[in-house]
Amino acid sequence: MNPLDPRLHQALDGDGPGGNLPPALERQRARLEQAAVLLATGRESPSVAARVMATVRHPLPARRARLLRWLFTPRAIVLRIRPAWSLALAAGILLVSLLPAPGPQLPLGAEEGIAQFVARFPGARSVSVVGSFNDWQPDQIPLEDRDKDGVWRGVVVLPAGTHEYMFVVDGERWVPDPLAGRYVEDDFGRQNSLLIVRAEKR
Amino acid sequence: MKLSALLFWAAAPLAAQSVAGRLEGRMPAAAIPVVDSLVQVAAGERLPTEPLVQKAIEGGAKHVSGERIVKAVEANLVQLRTARALLAGAGDTAPAAREILSVVAARKRGLGDPVIARLVAALPSQPRSAALHAVADLEAHGFQADSGANLILEAVRQSMSGGRLLDVAAAAIQETQRGHTHDEALAIVRAELPNVPTAPPPAQAAVQRARRPIAASGPPEH
Repeated sequence: MNPLDPRLHQALDGDGPGGNLPPALERQRARLEQAAVLLATGRESPSVAARVMATVRHPLPARRARLLRWLFTPRAIVLRIRPAWSLALAAGILLVSLLPAPGPQLPLGAEEGIAQFVARFPGARSVSVVGSFNDWQPDQIPLEDRDKDGVWRGVVVLPAGTHEYMFVVDGERWVPDPLAGRYVEDDFGRQNSLLIVRAEKR
Repeated sequence: MKLSALLFWAAAPLAAQSVAGRLEGRMPAAAIPVVDSLVQVAAGERLPTEPLVQKAIEGGAKHVSGERIVKAVEANLVQLRTARALLAGAGDTAPAAREILSVVAARKRGLGDPVIARLVAALPSQPRSAALHAVADLEAHGFQADSGANLILEAVRQSMSGGRLLDVAAAAIQETQRGHTHDEALAIVRAELPNVPTAPPPAQAAVQRARRPIAASGPPEH
């Protein structure tokens, strides 16, 4: 909206000296006065009156319908919050999202680390890991294939250092870990896999 | 120092005595006395005995004959002696058991004695296991052992140690997998030292499922 020229404002209010306005303002003043006359004498349109009366006469909707209408009618929500509080809230949300998910964790010693074993043995009924860390006893550390895709997994806490190990499939077949990357002769004509466990608390 | 030596001398026979009981039911009974005597020899020479016991148990678990188990234990006793002699020749005249075992492992992985001696001499006051394994990793992937040792010793000079040395070897191996020659890979990683990627830690979800292996308390069921 354009602001009204103060001289025009004064002329319309009858405060200023009439007839001294520039021609452009004088024309504007004349149009405004005509509009004022029309507004003062105008009558409401019949169509508007009809619509208003129809709405007034219309019976109130049921309570459930009003509730639904209230629920689904878009409304502007004005939240008045100090910028300092909104920044603190944003920082809190960021902090929570960045923190690691809390969960029960095994207490690891200073000289302990975590070893993850993964091996693919499709069709195997059982797979376990044996090594110098469990006196080569099968079935003591079984791996799991939860989704039955033939990939067996296990996680073990072990002393930091070097360990020789193998997988035992179905309780009888001893095989080195094909993913180990490090192997040593086992002195019995085969190879053991070699695992280097790093201390978790470095 | 004198007290620790006294304790060692007192503990060695005790360790040797307990071996027969540990082996009972885990390997052919006829071979137990021979293995036991070999363990006692190792204890008498102040060599680590646990690797010999583990080798005998391993043979039993793999259903190997008693004769082969004895041969394997003998071979391991020789390996321990050789490793200690190698350490002594490189200046470590009183090596800790873990140092002897590190050298045994390196030799089993195929690392040559001259390279081992060089690494031992270059690292007089720190554990050498990671350095030896790092060079063995490089050699296993086609790098020349001497060139690999140069890289690892350079990393040590830049204050890297322990598992970080394995990261250095892994970085060089990764460069060859990207298509670089071995020499190029060594040069690239050397230029990046000490900023090589660290091995990622296990995921939190995996840690929650971790199990601690139960200590052996009796003979195996099989």
